[in-house]
Amino acid sequence: MGFWDTIADMVEAATPWVTAEAEAPTQESTEETTVEATKEEETATKEAAEEPAEEEEEEEEEEEEDDEDDEDEIVDPKEKFEEECRESKQCSGVKHHFDECVERVTNASEQDGAKEDCVEEFFHLAHCATQCAAPKLWSALK
Amino acid sequence: MLARTCLRSTRAFASARNGAVHFSKRAASSSSSGAAADAAPVGLNVAAAAATAVAAGSIAWYYHLYGPTAHAMTPAEEGLHPAKYPWVHEQMFKTFDHQALRRGFQVYREVCASCHSLSRVPYRALVGTILTVDEAKALAEENEYDNEPNDEGIIEKRPGKLADYLPAPYPNDEAARFANNGALPPDLSLITKARHGGCNYIFSLLTGYPDEPPAGAQVGSGLNFNPYFPGTGIAMARVLYDGLVDYEDETPASTSQMAKDVVEFLNWAAEPEMDDRKRMGMKVLVCTTVLFALSVWVKRYKWANVKSRKIAYDPPKPAKTRE
Repeated sequence: MGFWDTIADMVEAATPWVTAEAEAPTQESTEETTVEATKEEETATKEAAEEPAEEEEEEEEEEEEDDEDDEDEIVDPKEKFEEECRESKQCSGVKHHFDECVERVTNASEQDGAKEDCVEEFFHLAHCATQCAAPKLWSALK
Repeated sequence: MLARTCLRSTRAFASARNGAVHFSKRAASSSSSGAAADAAPVGLNVAAAAATAVAAGSIAWYYHLYGPTAHAMTPAEEGLHPAKYPWVHEQMFKTFDHQALRRGFQVYREVCASCHSLSRVPYRALVGTILTVDEAKALAEENEYDNEPNDEGIIEKRPGKLADYLPAPYPNDEAARFANNGALPPDLSLITKARHGGCNYIFSLLTGYPDEPPAGAQVGSGLNFNPYFPGTGIAMARVLYDGLVDYEDETPASTSQMAKDVVEFLNWAAEPEMDDRKRMGMKVLVCTTVLFALSVWVKRYKWANVKSRKIAYDPPKPAKTRE
């Protein structure tokens, strides 16, 4: 039994599709196993321990980046990218239409009540801006 | 046959175009010779022209009646269609990001849960995917549920168990409407499946509130302007603001980050089987490709004899004639 358990453990440590348990395994089971098995397990865990170490380093790097972000107030990347996109050449046409519409409607409303709204122009501008910002936003978010 | 009839019909059409001259010519020629023999082609031409005219006319009439699509709704009533975001979990071989699910559940619990229920998700579903067993048990015990009737038939309360479902903020729809100015906050269990655009729509809706509605837009009382909501007037106000939630993994809680996390969580709530489904799909692909390769090799093996066979015709030698 002990021999096959160690084989199974080593296979489990080597294979990438190791099952993750929701609960940490209980301590009792390790005490019950034989000395030989624990030795084999130690070697297996050493192999496995190398991978988490690398992951931790990566996490630390990410945290450092996050800390830099935290120093100044949180800026919503969506707002930032969409603002850039709205000002970009790609959306200059629809932005021009929207600005013109806003001007026209505000002037009309001052005089004798606006008969139109700028929802459609706003839609076109928002569509352009979100479309342009979508891939940039996803690379910025976690 | 078809080609020939087409040719003939074009000829008939051409004759219909300069009909008057053509017909008079034929009529003149027919008068001199036998009338019965030459009247037939004229009649055929007229029939073909008439049939073509009826065919073209019926197409035109149909197009006049049904051709142009009528847009009964203005773009505002339709709502702005969301941009397509490159969700990782929607890719073919990608799972949910379970760290994101955990963050998303935190956002749901701290923000959404005050109005929206998640009635189809039990605590046990959270175990192993979002929370550990102990965390889920502790969370369940925070709420009270109806117990079995005791000896006197009275139903008492007990702390929640893993088998219980997440509690709803309101006892029923009427209470929910009454508390929210007449608007019913929908249950979020299946919301990503229940809305056109799915994840993209909900993400856009949560983050898409403009600072002020565009000039001239009519916003009803008690409503907020959101371009993505059909009709643009939504009873839910903007709820996600930068830094609203303190994430336990110290991710900066920007509005879009919270929206992304909670949308991924809601997608998980709507289809918790997705990870397993994709793994099963992968298994199916692996097995079928192996079997296909095997069948190809077996076929080649079995057909090797047939394919490498050479049939030679050995003509009989001409018989030697006797001299």
